[in-house]
Order: sequence, then structure tokens, then C-alpha cells
Amino acid sequence: MNRSFIARNPSVLWFLLALSVFTVAVTLMSEVTGVGLISTSFVKTLGKTLCLCLIAIAMDVVWGYCGILSLGHFAFFGLGGYAIGMWLMYARTELIVVESLANAPLPPTETEVTDAIATQIFGVVGSSEFPLIWAFSHSLTLQLLMVVLVPGLLALVFGWLAFRSRVTGVYLSILTQAMTLALSLYLFQNDSGLRGNNGLSGLQNIPGLDAVPQSVISIAFFWASALALGLGYVLFAWIVSGKMGSVIRAIRDNESRVRFLGYHVESYKLFVFTLTAIVAAIAGALYYPQAGIINPAEIAPIASIYLAVWVAIGGRGRLYGAVIGAAFVSLLSSWFTGGSAPAVNLGFYTINWTDWWLVLLGLSFVAVTLFFPKGIGGLFDLIVLKPVADRQGDYGPDKGAWRREEGEP
Amino acid sequence: MSTLLEVSGVSVTFDGFRAINNLSISIGQAELRAVIGPNGAGKTTFMDIITGKTKPDEGRVIWGPRSISLLDLSESQIARQGIGRKFQKPTVFEAQTVRENLAMALKNPRGPFDVLFYRKSRATAARIDEIAEEIGLTEDLPRRAGELSHGQKQWLEIGMLLAQDPQLLLVDEPAAGMTPAEREHTTALLVRAAQTRAVVVVEHDMEFVRRLNCKVTVLHEGSVLAEGSLDHVTKNQDVIDVYLGR
Repeated sequence: MNRSFIARNPSVLWFLLALSVFTVAVTLMSEVTGVGLISTSFVKTLGKTLCLCLIAIAMDVVWGYCGILSLGHFAFFGLGGYAIGMWLMYARTELIVVESLANAPLPPTETEVTDAIATQIFGVVGSSEFPLIWAFSHSLTLQLLMVVLVPGLLALVFGWLAFRSRVTGVYLSILTQAMTLALSLYLFQNDSGLRGNNGLSGLQNIPGLDAVPQSVISIAFFWASALALGLGYVLFAWIVSGKMGSVIRAIRDNESRVRFLGYHVESYKLFVFTLTAIVAAIAGALYYPQAGIINPAEIAPIASIYLAVWVAIGGRGRLYGAVIGAAFVSLLSSWFTGGSAPAVNLGFYTINWTDWWLVLLGLSFVAVTLFFPKGIGGLFDLIVLKPVADRQGDYGPDKGAWRREEGEP
Repeated sequence: MSTLLEVSGVSVTFDGFRAINNLSISIGQAELRAVIGPNGAGKTTFMDIITGKTKPDEGRVIWGPRSISLLDLSESQIARQGIGRKFQKPTVFEAQTVRENLAMALKNPRGPFDVLFYRKSRATAARIDEIAEEIGLTEDLPRRAGELSHGQKQWLEIGMLLAQDPQLLLVDEPAAGMTPAEREHTTALLVRAAQTRAVVVVEHDMEFVRRLNCKVTVLHEGSVLAEGSLDHVTKNQDVIDVYLGR
């Protein structure tokens, strides 16, 4: 029974193998490092998709394993993106400002440089001063720390308040949704300090790497995203495979029973919620430099709902299911909404997929929930597992037996 | 015999209905006790109060040699104090194996990080095998708990209680829906458990209580109606009126 971690979880090995093959294949087909079958923008799309897969496995752990349907994990994703975006914008603007002031007759003072950067960044929202939350934006190290700390703390405080008052089920989902909505509405304001609805832009330009073409940067980020996804997968597989996994699945199935076993359920939920929030933030910090722009619309509740749809379609309760769901649905979504899907002419009406894609997605979500509750990932069961009896316990041996009316267990 | 648990003057009202009315019961260190009573007598609510699921409106619940008040503790803290509970309906984790169920219940540190870095050891594996032997599920350790028969689930739950190694076991209707042979096995398990710890059994079935051969407390309308041996309480006219006579 003391077999190694990999032996107990063969899917980890298969996943890492598939991910490596995919990464190498994309690299060999890209413009710079390969034969040029794949355009730079598509490499970026694939890199972004890997980040979405990472947040999807985080969502799977919090929802599929622990039973907390969080409809707010994209808030953490977005906060991670904002945190890294602040440094990217600051550092790049600083380079531009220093360069332009270099020709001035007098060398610029430090305050002049800072003011010039602030004017550059905040001119668009009619301000020329750095808000307090930009205090660390000059330092990459500090701002990387913020990627983890800010979403982590938000999740910790929010989770602590929600779980200790024993808010569960749909009420908790509504609360998380309210959190992400409130955050997004706040960030839409110009005086929020993060450029309101303009968001942060130009994030694809890495400071100091102006000479490096985007085709190289895109491959670098693609590899970083693949590495993060691999590490995240191993981390979560380790967490859900051992005794921890046993306890959190038990919390999903019967929370109060776990309490009577002596486990402090709230601490476990808080641990899972916070950890997945941090991983979501890291995914966001890798996503937005590839996307190039982040604005408050990214953390609107709809994004988190999509996340739940991906995980449900891919298959809850198995990590590779979440990856498949996120990759499949998000790539399909960009194909349909990008106008590449051919319109269907019915004679009396032409179906434009840019308009009808959401309807198709909604229908397939309903279909998966009704007919394939295990999602796409459930297909793997057909080749691996033998069917088992799904018997449920009841008061008596069968419905006709003597049953008790009294008491809730 | 020193007292392990003392419930005194406890009352609970649900929406104007007095489920428990000035109830006082004390349980000794190593004692087997049966609690009987008609439907709605407050048997399950009594267990809910001890395990922290329900907070009483008034009264005291004092636990153990250090006389801790259980009313200030949460459910999980009470469980860690050494009070285990078996529910009326068998509630095992059906999606997990019998071994995982037992491993989860096994007495070990309960913090998230203790559990995260938990490593299986020879000692814990041996303990799980021992419990499985005791409840007769050795063959079924790798099976999913959902596949077990009703009686086996009941035993698994009793096994999980034993794995917790509590000082007090609260067992709600352990024999419900069992065959006569299974009942006998269950009785033997409970009697054996009661040699080293206190066991409180809530039961409807008089035959089963008779076989436990222990002190009986009769509850009625949320308070104690009679207490003593089964023969003693069945002769009590009040008991005959409210319970046996119906």
C-alpha cells in the first residue's frame, strides 16, 4: 500500500506526458523555433488556453472535490493579472519616460521622472498621481509577491467570513458572485486607481525586451504557462490523492458527518478556497501578459460562470477532465466567436455563429448535465473502470421494509 | 463509578415545541446505557445536544474529569474531546473505500496541515486491519462503502466510531433494518465496546434492549420518565401508560 505517488495516480504521468508532447509539438510548429505552421497569435492563444486550464483545475478542486461552487474564482485570476500588469506598465513607461527626458538640458530629478510616469499612465483617467496601491509597482519582486498575496488575502478573509457562518450551497455561490461583481464594479470607477474601464494595456511589451520579437516572447510565455500547468497539476493531484483528498471529498458528500468525526470543516474549506485562489491568481499573472490587456470586464461574474461550465463539461472530480473541458470549450469558443466557423444557411434564416455560439454552449451544458453528468472526462471510465453497483443506504433493506419516520440523521 | 457526562436541567424549544424539558442524565466512565422512548420523546435531540448540533436554551452539559462545559464547544471540538456518534441512518462516505472511511476516522491530529502531510504508517495500517476484523469487514477493505449491504454499512459506521477511540459512544438505533444474525453481531460489538468506554444506545426495539442487558433510561416528552433495569422500568405504570401500553 506504500506505493509511490505516481503509481497510485497513473493519470498524472499520462497528463504530464501529453502536456510535454503538446508543448514540444507547438514549439516545433511555431514561427521562430519551428517550421512556422502556427502563427504567433495562435501560440499566444494556446498559451492563454493553458492558463485557463490551470484555473480550471483549481476550480475543479474547489468545486468538484470540495463541493464549493465558487462563482468568483475569476476575480482572483483578474487580480493576479492586475498585479503583474501594474509592474509591466510602470516599468515600460519608466523606460520610455527616461529615454525622452534624457535629451533635456538638465538631468531630470527622481520626482520629475515619477510624475512623468504617473501622467503617462493616469492621464487617460484625468489624474497625474500614483494612487497608494501602486506603491510597489516599481519592483518586480514585490509585485510578484502581490500576485500571490492580494488574491490570497482576499480569499482568506472572504472565505473565513463565509465559511464560519456556515453559508453553503447556492447561497455561497451567490456570495462569491457578489464578490466578483462588486470588485469588477469598483475597478470600473476611474478613481479606483487602476485606470477604470481602460484597464491596463500594452502588457505584451515586456520592459527591457523591446528588441526581442513577440514571436519569441510568445513561445517563452507558452513554455511558462505549460510549466505552471504541469506543476499545478502535480500539486493538486498530490493534495486530492492522499488523506487530504479523502477528507475534502467527504466534506463535499456529507459535511456534518465530517464534523462529527472531529474535523474542523471550515479550516479545510478555507485551505482549499485560498490555495485555489492563489493558483488562479498565478494563472492570471501568466495569462494577461499574453492577452496584452486587462480591464474590469474580465472579472465580471460571467467569466466565473464560464469557468464552472468548462469544468462541468470536462467532468467534475477529475483533474484531467477540467483541463479537457477548459481547453476544448475555450478553443471552440474562440473559433466560433472569431468568425472562423462557417455560417449555416437554412434558406429562411442564416445562423451566424458569432450570435448563436452562446445558445449552442448553453444547450450543450444542459445536455452534458442531463445525459453525461461525468462530462467528457467520463469517457475515460469506459476504458478503465468496470461499472460498479450504485447502491444507496436507507433505513431498511428495501423500500418495503419497516422504516422510521423520526429524526434527521 | 465516576461520572463521565452529566446533563442537568437541559431544555430546548423548537418553534414553541418543547423537545427537551428539564432533562437530567448522567453517564458513568465505562457504562452501557440504553435510552428508549416513543417517537418524539427527544432521544435524537438529546444526542444532538451532547454532540453540539443543537444548543439548548438552558441547562448544563459537563464532560469528563476536567468538567468541561460542552455547550461552548463546536461539533468538531466535541468530537475531538472523545465523543463519537453513530447516526440513525448509516452515514458512511459511499464514494470512498472502506479503508479510506476507517483511515479518516482513525484517531490522529485533525488539522488541515497534519492531514495534508499525513503519511501512512505500519501502525495505522495494523490498527485499521484490527478494526476491520472486529466489525467483520476484512475482506471488504478495498471495496467502496457504497457497495456494502445495509447491515455492513452500520458496522462500518460502528467501526469508524471505534477508530475514533472515543470515551463516549452515542449510537442511534444501531439495529434498524438488520437481520436477526446481524443484530446479534451488533449487540456483541456494543457490549464489547462498553467494557472500556461508555456507550449510550438509543433504541426502539425492546428485544434488542433486553439483549444488551444494561441500565435503561425511558424518555417521554423530553424528560426522564423512569430509569433502572429493563424489568424495573417495564413494570413502572407510567412507562406502561405512555409507551408500552400504546
